[in-house]
Amino acid sequence: MPLVELKGVHFKYAGSDEYSLKGVSFSASRGECVLLVGPSGCGKSTLLRVLNGLIPHFYEGDLEGEATVAGLDVRSTPIHVLAKHVGMVFQDPENQLFLSSVEREIAFGLENMGLARAEIKRRVEETLRVFGLEELRYKAPYELSGGQQQKVAIASIMAMEPEVLVLDEPTANLDPLSALEILSLVNVLVKDEGLLTIIVEHRLELALKFATRLVVMNDGRLVFDGDPRTGVLFTHRLIGYPPVVITYNLVRRRGLTENFTPLTPEELAEVVAEACSRRKQS
Amino acid sequence: MSRVFDIFRFRQKKTPLHSLDPRAKFAILLALSAASLAFSDPFSLSLLLLVEVILLKIAKSLSELISSLRGLTSIMILIFILNYLTLPSGRLYTSIAMSLRFLSLATAFSVFFLTTTPDELSTALEVSGVPREYTMMFTMSLRFVPSLARDLQTVSDALRARGLELERGGLRERLRNYTYLLVPLLVYELRRSLMVAEALEARGFGAVRKVEPFYELRFRAKDYLTLALSCCALLIIALLHLTKVYSVFTSELARIIP
Repeated sequence: MPLVELKGVHFKYAGSDEYSLKGVSFSASRGECVLLVGPSGCGKSTLLRVLNGLIPHFYEGDLEGEATVAGLDVRSTPIHVLAKHVGMVFQDPENQLFLSSVEREIAFGLENMGLARAEIKRRVEETLRVFGLEELRYKAPYELSGGQQQKVAIASIMAMEPEVLVLDEPTANLDPLSALEILSLVNVLVKDEGLLTIIVEHRLELALKFATRLVVMNDGRLVFDGDPRTGVLFTHRLIGYPPVVITYNLVRRRGLTENFTPLTPEELAEVVAEACSRRKQS
Repeated sequence: MSRVFDIFRFRQKKTPLHSLDPRAKFAILLALSAASLAFSDPFSLSLLLLVEVILLKIAKSLSELISSLRGLTSIMILIFILNYLTLPSGRLYTSIAMSLRFLSLATAFSVFFLTTTPDELSTALEVSGVPREYTMMFTMSLRFVPSLARDLQTVSDALRARGLELERGGLRERLRNYTYLLVPLLVYELRRSLMVAEALEARGFGAVRKVEPFYELRFRAKDYLTLALSCCALLIIALLHLTKVYSVFTSELARIIP
């Protein structure tokens, strides 16, 4: 059974005339890493909000169609129940850290789940260790750098052990180096934890390293859902080529004959190296 | 003005006072503030102030008091002048006492807030049965002060970048300028609060009525001792008043000093 299943979902925010989601059908299972892209205002964030119940419980409006997450109907399940299954990390790290120390921040979601103190302590220690945050445990969130803040935000969500991890532009407010660090962390999580990850991310060349599936949205609809390589070629007018593909196209125009579009720097290096060795042989 | 509040902002230090249970420290605060209100002559109040200074010295936080003394002094002078102008008799004597009372109250609160982390405080409140919504509100109002300060800076920078001089002109013009600042700032903070609310929901806030807080408060021997001492102090203050010993003392003082 898929972990997330949407069937013909329409949504219109209260007070708005136009639908933000116009018949979205989508399903995904454990172990997948879905990269969700599309121009601003295309409904990406709205879609994510349906997944953890912020729609329709926090944002009012008309929700049509079926939406189930981990077997729970989003409409009839309160957000705090969904929160145990779906962990959501937001764009601005600062606004998702409310407490005065890193360790208490990680404990917060666990407290809300009603766990016993011994179990909270155990999970906090484990999370601090896994995310390498032991040295920062007594620091206040505002004393941390943006990258560290986002790391704490992800850690405090992961401590709740969700089955679905949803990241809404987690690197939008970060400098390039911190962004790389956060996405590498996501990469490790995706590979190790075997959860379903859904990520909205504009830095394609970084996210495509670990995405197993690409979903492209435009104007409230899914315009592509499938293999990342096909998707990048198919929807480049909408989402633009990642720099790697631009480079590849330039090299091809200079006479590279290999017909395999690379999506990551590693793949590009491989394509070029192969072409070089073949030229040497002939 | 910000310097004045320095004496209420927590500082992480390792001292006997910092490691006390917040509830025990609250008992100290109660005893000290009760004493500040119960005594009304400069001599007792000076003695009380000395006790508070010793406590701050133990907490290695005397420098915070000194740094905010400038702001406090101006308020003390104001209290002194107001009392001096309005009192019918014993003006100098009572005016000095009232200024000292303000200082000793402020110092009493600083002994508490300088040595108690916001986390400890909210845990203590939560353990005492205050609903989590309120303790979170308290924690978050402290937590978002730096963010608010930065937002204020951002908005006023944006206004200055477009040529608005915030500090120019008379009172009326300045007030008008500040409305330019206030409206975007309000919008900014409303949006921020919406994002914070979303994130709170995502962490399951409000799911369980009775949560077990991460931090554990333990009442140890030294906490019981502090509690007992504070109670003794309160009792002595009450006895001094009930047995009229204190009123005899003050009337004697009033006779000696005009």
